[in-house]
Amino acid sequence: MAKPKVASDWLAGCAGCHMSFLDIDERIAQLVELVDLRATPITDLKEPDKDGVTVGILEGGINNTYNEEVAKRMRSRCKILVALGDCAVFGGVPAMRNFFTLEDSLNRAYIETPSTDDSGKIPSSPELAVPTRVRAIHEVVPVDVFIPGCPPDADIIFYALAELAQGRIPKLEHKNLMWN
Amino acid sequence: MVNLTIDGKNIEVKEGTTVLNAARAAGVEIPTLCDHPQLTPYGGCRLCLVEVEGARTLQPSCTLPVNNEMKVHTDTEKVRNARKFVLSMIFSERNHFCPYCQVSGGDCELQNAAYAEDMTHWPLQPNWKPFPVDASHPFIIMENNRCILCRRCVRACGELVGNYTLGFEERGAESALVADLGLPLGESSCVGCGTCVQICPTGALIDRWSAYQGKETEVDVTKTICQGCSIGCGLDVLTRDNRLVRIEGNWDDTVSGGLLCEVGRFNPMDEERERVLTPMLKANGSTKATTWEDAMAAIKDQLKSAKGKAAAVVSTRLSAEAMDAFKQVCQAAGVDKFFSTEGSQITGPATKAASLLGKPFETKMDALHYADAYLVIGEDLTKDHQVLSFFMKRRLPDGAKLIHVGKADSGFNNFADAVLTVPAGKETAFLEDLKGLLSNDSAVEKVAGIYGLDAVALAESVKALKSAEKPAVVMGSRYDFSDEAAAYNSVLNIANDLKATFISTKGNINSLAAAQMDLDNTLDLSGVELVILAAGDEVFSQQFMGKFEKVPTMVVFSSYVSPLTAAADVVLPVTNWLEQDGHFLNVDGRLLSAKAALKASEGIYSNVDAFGKLADSLDIKLSSTWESALNAATAVVVD
Repeated sequence: MAKPKVASDWLAGCAGCHMSFLDIDERIAQLVELVDLRATPITDLKEPDKDGVTVGILEGGINNTYNEEVAKRMRSRCKILVALGDCAVFGGVPAMRNFFTLEDSLNRAYIETPSTDDSGKIPSSPELAVPTRVRAIHEVVPVDVFIPGCPPDADIIFYALAELAQGRIPKLEHKNLMWN
Repeated sequence: MVNLTIDGKNIEVKEGTTVLNAARAAGVEIPTLCDHPQLTPYGGCRLCLVEVEGARTLQPSCTLPVNNEMKVHTDTEKVRNARKFVLSMIFSERNHFCPYCQVSGGDCELQNAAYAEDMTHWPLQPNWKPFPVDASHPFIIMENNRCILCRRCVRACGELVGNYTLGFEERGAESALVADLGLPLGESSCVGCGTCVQICPTGALIDRWSAYQGKETEVDVTKTICQGCSIGCGLDVLTRDNRLVRIEGNWDDTVSGGLLCEVGRFNPMDEERERVLTPMLKANGSTKATTWEDAMAAIKDQLKSAKGKAAAVVSTRLSAEAMDAFKQVCQAAGVDKFFSTEGSQITGPATKAASLLGKPFETKMDALHYADAYLVIGEDLTKDHQVLSFFMKRRLPDGAKLIHVGKADSGFNNFADAVLTVPAGKETAFLEDLKGLLSNDSAVEKVAGIYGLDAVALAESVKALKSAEKPAVVMGSRYDFSDEAAAYNSVLNIANDLKATFISTKGNINSLAAAQMDLDNTLDLSGVELVILAAGDEVFSQQFMGKFEKVPTMVVFSSYVSPLTAAADVVLPVTNWLEQDGHFLNVDGRLLSAKAALKASEGIYSNVDAFGKLADSLDIKLSSTWESALNAATAVVVD
């Protein structure tokens, strides 16, 4: 049996969930025996295989049109989509800006910060992605497995990936769910 | 009794029991949020929904009384789905992002409930409507964004504290917790008791002093008693690495049932006095740090030269053990004058009356829970003994009457049905006249005229007291009666005439013990050359400290630096209330036990050990006689 292919990507997050993934340390050797690790943001291959992967993992919420595109592409190319971490599951810290209008947030970020001089302006190149309200992954595409946590513990990530590698859907309950 | 089945278990409970309590008695767990054992059932959150055979819809178990032959299911798919749905709706209403909340990670009942249902995510996202944060209060932060609208705080503020500060404005998802009619909490009628903070299931009401200092799983909890006044409310003292994190009321406590006031809950967090860290000795006009041995040797010399002209003054905040040890060592060292820091102004008259009567006559404060009229005399219960005021205020909506004979500036006046403020110096005479009016009210107008009172208010007061079935008379110590004993007797007579229960609020936590041990005498330091003051951690008034100005030699055992320690010839560092064990006789004459929650720094001794060291240096043998010493005098409160 061919090893299941796994791809991952990060969106509006801090990369902390991928760092927590790396915290599985030497167990990564066990993992690569079980799975074929394909595209990830920290390896050379950046896009999931066109002919599809078994498991797609997304870290971070969706805060612009580019994130939407990446999420939709990952969804279309994977069988099982995993939302990894609080930003992917709930919107997380970036979603704090949802309590303000987008205009206020952009003004604050590009014009009002104390370190910005008078030439500060909100970027408006047509090549740039358009910012949106911050959404959880499941608000944009259906998600199969939710792994909350800020970040999820390395043990939980290892448990979830090991289950997926062996063809099972991980069940996060009780202690496995209580990341803090 | 009613028989019912819950999840296949047959159980028998009393009629009127709720399904929730019946399930708990049977060991079946039903999750709840708006329910709290100290509050009346509310049925607001719907998390406790259960399936009842024959019922068309799911039923809230917290408000549903049991029925005979009822068959209840708490763990069906329908119930579990309903719980998840309820939680999803609650999460969707406000900002419940755990990573930025102070109570997440074990202290949040909402998060714990979601964990219990194995919720990995929110099926419905929040509506992103921000609410203002109210941080205007010195101790409490009101964070409406974390609120789940369970109204536990509102009910606690009313049902338990009787203050009715908290309420809700607007409706539905717009509902917002407000103080009074929308005032900032810090400017509202809030008394800062913190019951709302303790009862809040989420992070909507947090205590700004302990926020982010440690979750409940990370702290040590010591069960002890508050020593802020004579009530002695049960405390859970939360500490971490020998640092005070927070003080909470102990819901299982039989003294106050978990209620505390600002003095007990928050003021200890705000303790700013400087500690005495080492023994100090005054020599050639300057005070220098010294050793316990040298300090003891100095006291020994001072005692010798002041033979027959020495007095001992003990703080009424010391434990019975410490008071007894202090008395023994001073007596053996030839001291024959004993005083307490209250100078017989407060509790002394009660003990004297008991010894004259030869029997106890006061009632335990539990009587306040059942009284239908209160006559409060000479006490501002919004400042002292506040928990007693909670016991009364929460009875007022049920029609209990509150008559306050107090000063014009008393905050307690706001709650009273009638306020009778008499001119200073005429209090005792008024009490005699009031007693007269209770047997014959024809002279109401005349009496009102003498004391400048509203005749209608006075007449209504007399009527309310006379028509009450269970009146209670509460005597405080805010009046400067010229003759404390006479005033006390007048009040006692009023209580007897009304067949009312009688409670005197007394002073500090152990003022009754000091009086019982005959340490509470009227302070008179004329001709005294040496004072040994066991100050403990008490805060003294300027007036009190002024009485020691003319004393030639002073030895002070104290936790904190004060003008008294600055003037003293010898200063010995002792532990404060959180650092020592001990027993206390509270307002009810109940012996309460305190446990140390913190460890004092090296070189600071507990009061008992400090007096033990003094005894050793004077070759005096101490024996543990505090229990018999407490029982030597006639008890004040009927057991």
